[in-house]
Amino acid sequence: MRAVYAIVFAAAFAALVGQHLTSPSSGRPVSPEDFAGACAPCGAPCPSVQKK
Amino acid sequence: MSTLATSSDVSAPALRRDWPFLIASVLALAVLVTLVLIDGQPAAAALLMLGFALGGVFLKTEFSFTASWRRLIVPGQADGFLAGLLLIAIAAAVIVPVVALVPGFGGAIAPIGPSLVIGDFVFGIGMQLANGCGSGTLYTAGGGSGRMIITLACFIAGSVIGSLHLPAVLSIGGIDPILAANVFGPWGGLAVTWVSLALAAFAGVVIARRRGAAFAPPRKMVVGAVAIGLLCIAVFAAGRHPWSVTFGFTVWGAKIATAFGADFSNAEFWQWAGPKRAIGDSILSDTSSLTDLGMILGAMAAAATSAPFARNPWPPLKSLLAAAAGGLLMGWGARLGFGCNIGAFIGGVGSGSLHGWVWFLAALPGCVIGIKLRPLFGLSRE
Repeated sequence: MRAVYAIVFAAAFAALVGQHLTSPSSGRPVSPEDFAGACAPCGAPCPSVQKK
Repeated sequence: MSTLATSSDVSAPALRRDWPFLIASVLALAVLVTLVLIDGQPAAAALLMLGFALGGVFLKTEFSFTASWRRLIVPGQADGFLAGLLLIAIAAAVIVPVVALVPGFGGAIAPIGPSLVIGDFVFGIGMQLANGCGSGTLYTAGGGSGRMIITLACFIAGSVIGSLHLPAVLSIGGIDPILAANVFGPWGGLAVTWVSLALAAFAGVVIARRRGAAFAPPRKMVVGAVAIGLLCIAVFAAGRHPWSVTFGFTVWGAKIATAFGADFSNAEFWQWAGPKRAIGDSILSDTSSLTDLGMILGAMAAAATSAPFARNPWPPLKSLLAAAAGGLLMGWGARLGFGCNIGAFIGGVGSGSLHGWVWFLAALPGCVIGIKLRPLFGLSRE
């Protein structure tokens, strides 16, 4: 298990750093709730808005 | 003399630190903190470090929502449940008034309807099969459990599947979020939130007394609840929203799927402003991903300080199947139910949002089903 764990950790960390260096990043960390119209932690709209 | 020496050796075993994993976890945190600081994101650095602290506290105090709920349902033991309520009461003391009074801060809110109820019920089944919820999966996977790495992978896959189903289930209907502070004002909302927690605690004590079970949380559990409650407040201050876990999993899964050729441009969920931004930006720009990553590293560091890391053998196949099924169900359920114990229950109730209590009431029967299913996978009901 230890070897599997080390491999998974190293691969995931390399992928994480790689995608960070190749992706845009905003000025401060954001949550989907920061955006207008978000009604849930995932950014889903409110039912009252969906009905319109 | 020799007897004394032998006795001393037995009573105070030397700490067996696992230096490679301890160094790797601290070094990884340092690299991530450096990367976000280079981007000018001190708040992101704070969230990474707070996640690291959360991972350590969860692991060292063995704080577990899943086991607490199982003890409440099976023998009627309310100690862990009461500790969880204490944690929420501490977080609510700051979150409810600040959300109402300070611009720029938001609570954990969500619509109340079929999506919430169905998602939470399924999540409840999953958390008992997996033997851990969102936070539990993170700190046990980070702490060296190979079984929970499988749960985490399936949690991520399930949450991406859930993201594809959520818009259709949401269209069935529902009502807009209801916040106590919007009805009773900032301090009235906090009072109502605390009263609701006190009533739940009273119900827990009544259940425990009727069944002759314990309800007073042990000292370690109280320390865990207070520490996690205070860290919840710190995460809220840094991220401007209550701590959440599962949206990060959805983003990770979508990014992995995209790397393998999946196209989400026609998926409604990924056209909403928040998810659309998250799938395009760096993972280190997403608040829940930051605390999730910190938590994995913090649990790894905490585990490696006291014992050889990840030395346990793999569990039986049945147990691994339960881990996989539980992860998938939790991922799907968390997406439809707007989060896990952290984002929906602690964050929701801690924000004075009614959906937090609906989440709890829908997840509880799911847990009952999950507990009944555990023996099929060779897991104990207790």
